[in-house]
Amino acid sequence: MTSNHQVVLSRIRQALASARLPAVPTSLPSWDTQPAGDNDWLMETFTRAVTAVHGQVYRPANDQAAIDLILEGVRQLNNAEILAWADSELPIPELGLALRAAGLRVLDAALPADPVARQAKLWELGRAAVGVTGALAGLADTGTLALVNGPGRSRLASLLPPVHVALLRTTTLFPALAAFFAAHPAITQLGSNLVFVTGPSSTADIELTPVWGVHGPKQLRVVLV
Amino acid sequence: MSAANVSFYERVEDALQDRRLHVALDRATGRFGSLRANALASLPNADAVRDRARFIRAHTLGRLDHYLLQFAQAVEANGGHVHWAVDAAAANDIVCALAKRSGVKTAVKGKSMVTEEIHLNRALEASGVTVIESDLGEYIIQLAGEKPSHINAPAIHKTKEQIGQLLHEKIGMALTNAPEQMTAAVREKLREVFLTADMGLSGVNFGVAETGTLALVENEGNGRLTTTLPRLHVALMGLERLVPTLDDLGVMLQLLARSATGQKMAVYTNLITGPRRPGEADGPEELHVVLVDNGRSQLLASDVAEILFCIRCGACLNTCPVYREIGGHAYGSVYAGPVGAVLTPALEGIGPWRDLPHASTLCGACREVCPVRIDLPRLLLALRDEGHRAGHSPAWLKIGLSLYSLAATRPALFRLALTAGRWLTRLLALEGWLTRLPPPLNGWTASRDWPAFAQQSLSKQRRSKHP
Repeated sequence: MTSNHQVVLSRIRQALASARLPAVPTSLPSWDTQPAGDNDWLMETFTRAVTAVHGQVYRPANDQAAIDLILEGVRQLNNAEILAWADSELPIPELGLALRAAGLRVLDAALPADPVARQAKLWELGRAAVGVTGALAGLADTGTLALVNGPGRSRLASLLPPVHVALLRTTTLFPALAAFFAAHPAITQLGSNLVFVTGPSSTADIELTPVWGVHGPKQLRVVLV
Repeated sequence: MSAANVSFYERVEDALQDRRLHVALDRATGRFGSLRANALASLPNADAVRDRARFIRAHTLGRLDHYLLQFAQAVEANGGHVHWAVDAAAANDIVCALAKRSGVKTAVKGKSMVTEEIHLNRALEASGVTVIESDLGEYIIQLAGEKPSHINAPAIHKTKEQIGQLLHEKIGMALTNAPEQMTAAVREKLREVFLTADMGLSGVNFGVAETGTLALVENEGNGRLTTTLPRLHVALMGLERLVPTLDDLGVMLQLLARSATGQKMAVYTNLITGPRRPGEADGPEELHVVLVDNGRSQLLASDVAEILFCIRCGACLNTCPVYREIGGHAYGSVYAGPVGAVLTPALEGIGPWRDLPHASTLCGACREVCPVRIDLPRLLLALRDEGHRAGHSPAWLKIGLSLYSLAATRPALFRLALTAGRWLTRLLALEGWLTRLPPPLNGWTASRDWPAFAQQSLSKQRRSKHP
């Protein structure tokens, strides 16, 4: 902090001494009336919401079916390089092994600290066609994924490639954002970046025409397991 | 920022003549308006959430010194750096010094109103740094050498044909009118910029005091790329934009995207708590937060402090009958619409901006849609009053008002004036209306009619009915 902080703070304190902010009621009625239901309801609501924002939801019968589904999807993109989270960080750790066993190239996502090496690495990662991540949670009412970065959990996997495949355990669905924050009071300690993803990257900056895949992924595929 | 040489009323005249602008404005504001209404309807108990949001804003501002300190300490505890800027020049100096220290040649920037407010791009370019806007709309505006005309749709005043031509000329895109192809061309062009930029510049939608977290809300992914790829991230933030806790942030997030674009949640709500941590795969090595005062602390003590509740959703622009007619550029200020008509004179003084508070019909539509229920008409009136007291009212208004008070305080004179008015207006009226008055009253009839006076005054009518 620079010495300017004293100047700014003293100005604010001086202003507050005479400020007449509009009065607001000190006690408010309960406002958090998010709907809640059983797991089937959560899955239905979540699926509907993701679809509404141009994402796709897959509900394979079991973990092996999920692996097969993802392998099949990746094979359709010829010679695809994959930017995936570390095996241990995915809800299905066997997925990474299966991808490599299928002869697919899974890139190491960790950026070197050296600026020149870092930039070279970024160019390499920029070529990836698919990103594979594991969501910490899903928010049913908005169709949102919560992703936390960390060791083995790159931010770029959900951002650079044109296709983002996210694995999500059905047991981690919440009705809405408030419930998620309530269940994870220390969420910001888990990683320096928590991102809520609601659909693929989009814009409407040209005559309000919706276009997907502006700077981030054009496709978002959520695999519920 | 300074008022352009052209007067506000001349800019308004130009805007009213611009047919293309009207088509673009009608499409955009109309669509935003209906999307917003639907999105709020999808929120259970929306009114209670808005009350809560208003409470959070009032509470935070009432203890702003406390929350700012808490926020700054938390950012530093997370490994970030906090800078305090008393004004625009100080903020620009801080960012330029950071750029120089790290040998920055290219900076990539996410959409941010506060950086527009302080004219950061100009300052950085002057110190030899190339700044590239990365939000699609902002990039288009930057290529065109223009300014954004809307808080969250900066290029709504341009048609797709204009944009296609621009991208063809500036970045060599094959000529097209298809927004999808234009977007793809910009993606490719900017990807290169993202991968090579030395510094990422962003604004901040909310700072969370408790955790030192920065919340950035966006749809394109450019904000995430800006804050993830370059090794240095500098975030600029108006110092009023705090919420105490993550739970409070949750309340604001329920309203922001719904009010702005009619989305239940934006595509990316990006919560940043410090720079890349040891062992983390990626992220910036350095994070700097610049807290910008630039008139806000002074505003806090004024009659219009309530404008600091604003969360920059843009809903008041979309609903304002004046904005919908004249667009953002006519205001001549960085912030347009009802919020701009209050914020601009409040931050920079009423003198150069005395006309802006009059760019309103006081219909109250802005107050109706404001997610934090800012009483914008009251604030506009307060600023009109301030302008009048500072002697900024036009001569005709002063003369008119003193003539009126002269007559209104003298019953005999008042009756005489009424009688004269009755005769005159009835003489000139066509079917009870005057469509054209002579100078100096012709300003009134340029855009509306004047009713002829009734045959009998109200008090006379009353007396004859209730003798």
